[in-house]
Amino acid sequence: MKHVKTLNTKRLQNTVKKGGCCQTSCQCTVGNQTCEQSK
Amino acid sequence: MVHQYKNNGYNIILDVNSGAIHVVDDVVYDVVALWEKSDKSCIFEKLSDKYDKKELEEAIEEVAALEAREELFTKDEYQDYVMEFKNRPTVVKALCLHIAHDCNLACRYCFAEEGEYHGKRALMSFEVGKAALDFLIANSGSRRNLEVDFFGGEPTLNFQVVKDLVAYGREQEKIHNKNFRFTLTTNGVLLNEEIMEFANREMANVVLSIDGRKEVNDKMRPFRNGTGSYDLIVPKFQKFADSRNQTNYYVRGTFTHHNLDFSKDVLHLADLGFKQVSVEPVVAQETDDYAIRKEDVPVILEEYDKLAAEMADRHQRGEDFTFFHFMIDLEGGPCVAKRLSGCGSGTEYLAVTPWGDLYPCHQFVGKEEFCMGNVTDGVTRTDIREQFKSCNVYAKEKCRECFARFYCSGGCAANSYNFHGDIHSAYEIGCELQKKRVECAIMLKAAEAERSKER
Repeated sequence: MKHVKTLNTKRLQNTVKKGGCCQTSCQCTVGNQTCEQSK
Repeated sequence: MVHQYKNNGYNIILDVNSGAIHVVDDVVYDVVALWEKSDKSCIFEKLSDKYDKKELEEAIEEVAALEAREELFTKDEYQDYVMEFKNRPTVVKALCLHIAHDCNLACRYCFAEEGEYHGKRALMSFEVGKAALDFLIANSGSRRNLEVDFFGGEPTLNFQVVKDLVAYGREQEKIHNKNFRFTLTTNGVLLNEEIMEFANREMANVVLSIDGRKEVNDKMRPFRNGTGSYDLIVPKFQKFADSRNQTNYYVRGTFTHHNLDFSKDVLHLADLGFKQVSVEPVVAQETDDYAIRKEDVPVILEEYDKLAAEMADRHQRGEDFTFFHFMIDLEGGPCVAKRLSGCGSGTEYLAVTPWGDLYPCHQFVGKEEFCMGNVTDGVTRTDIREQFKSCNVYAKEKCRECFARFYCSGGCAANSYNFHGDIHSAYEIGCELQKKRVECAIMLKAAEAERSKER
């Protein structure tokens, strides 16, 4: 794309089927937490 | 839902429900702003005096393509899924052990009344700690990784019990096929070779409490006789951080109404050589002189912007450091269920007092109405657990339409309770700061991406 640069490929809607199996979090925060499955 | 903003020269568009993040030029930025309210001919009409026809056609085509790929204006279809997820049985994953309700400092903002604990100083006995670890093992189901935080007060005032509990945990983890991840928070006053060596061997993470510049730290973190703690703790913390290879620790400070220029404290800690830094807003009653006030918010937001811009510059010069609240994982972060279901307090995470009572988290300790049971009898107030279980983004009206909800998870239940008397609400000042931090964190990722492209 000429006008857009997309920074990431992860899409939240793709985690619905595979997700829902992580540490508790506190303000790591949820934003910087790593999924146990993706380790 | 999209959130678009400009920061440090970048035009950023966050597609909230997919998590896609786009850095765009001015023409796409303006087209996206009109997209949901106008049809294409109307967008042409409104922007034709600003951009040429070809540019506008390209921009509209690209926005339409992103929408078709569900990377822009994606719908929120997660509510039923998250409600179902929250209804599943939970296990206990982590405990915060209040190993010492006593302290050798008298920090002015301490939730434990300057370390006095309302006259009820206490140290946790080995027997209570052992019962807590047994409770955690018994209530953790098939989960292997368990976390135990040694907290206080000041844990090093009861360090023999810390060591004995770690030894007990290591013995039990072999028997029950568990893996304990121990962590420690300390003010550094009693830190010595023996404690550092033990922590480097056994503690997966340590948190070292210091507020930043000497005058800031010493105003809020004095000894009981009024003298400051900065000169004593800084060399020890520097040595400790180096001995951990500058990883698996945080120097962690608190900023208050008295140091709204806290970016200077963050940078001061970085200039002292610390690579892992967190400086966070104080949690206080509105009546406290150091509490963050509504009128402080614009100053704080500007301060976060200033800090983020400086961090981007330092990154370019190879002088990076990590700021806890600007950390964001755009590729490996957790699933939707985790993002929307909250921190785990009261269900997966519990705090234990020196005498073995269970509370939803360390911020609730001492609020008797939140006592959930004890380490011997387990959770007897299952109604409190259910209250916390129902705490998620969709249960909070203020969160449902917030762009930051997938990065914040609905905020802190304790903050909400302190300000509204209800764990299902949200603390507005905290929300404003959190939103800005998410914006800054994404901007830093954009700057990083731009630089890696240049290399």
